[in-house]
Amino acid sequence: MKFEPVTCKDVIIHICENLNEDIDSDRCRAIKHHIENCEKCREYGYSIECIIDWYREYDPDFTDTQHDALLKKLGLE
Amino acid sequence: MSEENLIARAKTGDKEALRELVKKYEKTLYSFAFKICRNRDKAENIMQETFLSMLKSLKGFDGNSKLSTWLYRISVNHCLMEARKQKKGIFVEPGDDDELFSDKYAADWSNIPHKSVENQELKDILDRSIAKLAPEYRIVFTLRDVQQLSTEETAGITGLSVPAVKSRLHRARAFLRNEISKEFQK
Repeated sequence: MKFEPVTCKDVIIHICENLNEDIDSDRCRAIKHHIENCEKCREYGYSIECIIDWYREYDPDFTDTQHDALLKKLGLE
Repeated sequence: MSEENLIARAKTGDKEALRELVKKYEKTLYSFAFKICRNRDKAENIMQETFLSMLKSLKGFDGNSKLSTWLYRISVNHCLMEARKQKKGIFVEPGDDDELFSDKYAADWSNIPHKSVENQELKDILDRSIAKLAPEYRIVFTLRDVQQLSTEETAGITGLSVPAVKSRLHRARAFLRNEISKEFQK
C-alpha cells in the first residue's frame, strides 16, 4: 500500500483547516502535541487510510459490451 | 475539442459530440454507481438512466457548474431512488460520536496483514460493511474519499452545506472502521 508522503505540518494544517483554526493557535498546538504522543490517534489515521485505499481500489471493470449496450439504449450507436 | 465546444454541439443533437461525452464519463459514472449500490446490474442501470436524463435535460444545462458535477448530481438522485426501493430499516445511520469512537471497536490495525482488494474475502467484508451504511452517508464518503472530489464540490452535488459534508464524512469513516474491525475480530 503506497501513500503520498505528508509531513506532520501537512497533517496539522489539514486538521486545523477543518476546525477553522489557525495553525499557530493554542488549539492546534495542543492537537499537534496530542498526535505526537497518541498511539490510538496514529492507529486511527492508519486504519482510515487503509479503508479509503481499499474502497478506491475495489473498482469494477467496464466492458466494451456495456459501452455498446449504453450507446444502443441512448440511440447513439 | 474542448468540453465546452462538445457540450455546445451536443445541445444541437450532434450524435458524435454526445458519443464523446458519454465515452468521457461512462466509466466514472458506472464506477460511482457500483460503489454506492454494490451491484453490477443495478450500477449499469443507474448509469444508463443518468445518461438518459442527460440527453433529456442537456439543453437546460447552464454551464454554471462542471458537467461532471451535474452528472454526479443526476446519478446521486438515481442512486437514492434505487436505495428507496429496498426494505426500510436495513440501513444504519451512524450514531453519536461517543458510540462511533468507542474503544470496543478497536481492532489492532497495525497487526492486520497487507490485504489486496483482489482478495475475495476482503471484497465481501467491504461490501457487507458499506451495505449497512445509510445511502446519504455512503454517497458523501464515496464522492469525497473514493472519487476524491473536494468538500465544496461534494456539497454542491449533494445539496448539503460544507459543515454537513464534513460531519457525514467523519461519521461514515468511523462507522466503516467499526464495521470492518468487527469483521476482522470474527
